[in-house]
Amino acid sequence: MENGVVRRRRRLTASLLLVAAVSLAATAGSLARIAGVETGGLAGSPAIELLKARFRRPDAVPFPKANPHSPGKEDLGRTLFFDPRLSRSGSVSCASCHNPSLGWSDGLARAVGFEMKPLARRTPPIMNLAWGSAFQWDGRAESLEHQARMPLTAPDEMNMTMEMVIERLVAIPGYRALFAQAFERPDAITAESVTAALATYQRTLVSGRAPFDRWVAGEESALGPDAKRGFALFTGKARCASCHSTWRLTDDSFHDIGLTGDDPGRGTFAPPSVVTMQRAFKTPSLRDLRLQGPYMHDGSVRTLDDVIEHYVKGGAKRPSLSPEMRPIALSADERHDLIAFLSSLKAEPIRVELPQLP
Amino acid sequence: MSRNASPRLTACLLICAASWVGGGAARAADYEVVIHHAELEETGIKPKVGDTITFINHAEISHNLYLTYEDGRMETLDTQIPNSTKKAVLHTAGRVVIRCWIHPIIRLEMTVADAS
Ligand code: HEC
Ligand code: HEC
Ligand SMILES: [Cu+2]
Ligand SMILES: [Cu+2]
Repeated sequence: MENGVVRRRRRLTASLLLVAAVSLAATAGSLARIAGVETGGLAGSPAIELLKARFRRPDAVPFPKANPHSPGKEDLGRTLFFDPRLSRSGSVSCASCHNPSLGWSDGLARAVGFEMKPLARRTPPIMNLAWGSAFQWDGRAESLEHQARMPLTAPDEMNMTMEMVIERLVAIPGYRALFAQAFERPDAITAESVTAALATYQRTLVSGRAPFDRWVAGEESALGPDAKRGFALFTGKARCASCHSTWRLTDDSFHDIGLTGDDPGRGTFAPPSVVTMQRAFKTPSLRDLRLQGPYMHDGSVRTLDDVIEHYVKGGAKRPSLSPEMRPIALSADERHDLIAFLSSLKAEPIRVELPQLP
Repeated sequence: MSRNASPRLTACLLICAASWVGGGAARAADYEVVIHHAELEETGIKPKVGDTITFINHAEISHNLYLTYEDGRMETLDTQIPNSTKKAVLHTAGRVVIRCWIHPIIRLEMTVADAS
């Protein structure tokens, strides 16, 4: 019977943990009500502090053990990111599509690739990805290192092979020194070091402190009353935070939110039995959201008002639709408040040092 | 913001509290793994070929776990709504990675020993 005893004790621990760490989906709403954020009351109460804590920024950027940060690697990664010679035509860099002046995206509904060919999906911004666990709209890349090969070698993007990338870089004298400095060895120009440097640079791209962050940190006047009501809606009645959770406002997970369009998304490689992954895409972060749109994986939703309207309706009813998607009733004032909250997630753009290419 | 490497922050789910549910040394054993909506935790279990793992969903959201064996073979369990359980019998020795199709942040690795 000893096993039985052990088992019961462990299960008890498990349920205690569950109480402490219940899902945001279920608790955020009730917390918001307990805290009275809907009415703007009880600022600083324990419940509202608990709710805010779920959105508190972390202190440090995580870098993987296999690819730690170094200033040399970051510099090299930045140089590569802005260098169009990494593409077959010599005219397209990562920054052509992930343009810092357009919030690290391109402002287009769908990206434009090699020989001006329109691509199937919208270019996502690349901020705050150091905390990511799956990359691309469908999550097919496991790490930023893995991801970086994809645009370089995709025939409709930069259209290279990794061998051609290396050949080009070896032929540019200035790169030899940059690679040697970054990796502290000679002959460091390899496919692995190219992707390691690109990943390192991207991990340093972190959103600045937004008004919402200052409010979470205790500065009561950082948000207006409409944005505070919007936060209560976001975490409560509108249930946005069941997917747009954590300080990045994403669960880094995949959902079919019932948009039109027939891209199978994660269903391309998830087995058909996993019905909820058909037409499922990664929840985007809502930090530094471009308020002028367009939105979604295919740029099919033009304005923020249209996004809210989509969630009010609840999306197309179909077997793959996320169980978290249900129609919600929102008044005109409430829609305004939600948008005021989304705007409060916008920080001053981070300063970008443009590299001088070797 | 400092640039120190910090422990990877996990945001979504916790697989923890594995317990051993009987069986002698040579017989197949049964393990329980509870899924919570929090973080990932190492269970430290040491199963062998033929053992069963029962996954218990204590989170308020659905999951869909899959196992990847060292030889690349994959086994996808059914979608698991809150408070339901799914079972997997471990059929090959070596490293096994357990992940969720919906929430890639879920990741549990274990080494499966030979049956003997
Ligand atoms: C032609 C435009 C284009 C170019 C050039 C381009 N990208 Fe992208 N990028 C995209 C599109 C479109 C996606 C989404 C693709 C998908 O999900 O299928 C994307 C996705 C990404 C992602 C995943 C973001 C996330 O949230 O998961 C990263 C990281 C990224 N690109 C980095 C890069 C890097 C590094 C380069 C240069 C080596 C680069 N991109 C070049 C258009 C481009
Ligand atoms: C079921 C999970 C889920 C819920 C609930 C949810 N979202 Fe989303 N959201 C997503 C996913 C997934 C996408 C991307 C969908 C796509 O492109 O196919 C998205 C996209 C968005 C976008 C577009 C962002 C961009 O960069 O294109 C905005 C804005 C947004 N959601 C706001 C909200 C608001 C406001 C609510 C609450 C009213 C909400 N979401 C509720 C999962 C969710
Ligand atoms: Cu637990
Ligand atoms: Cu899951």
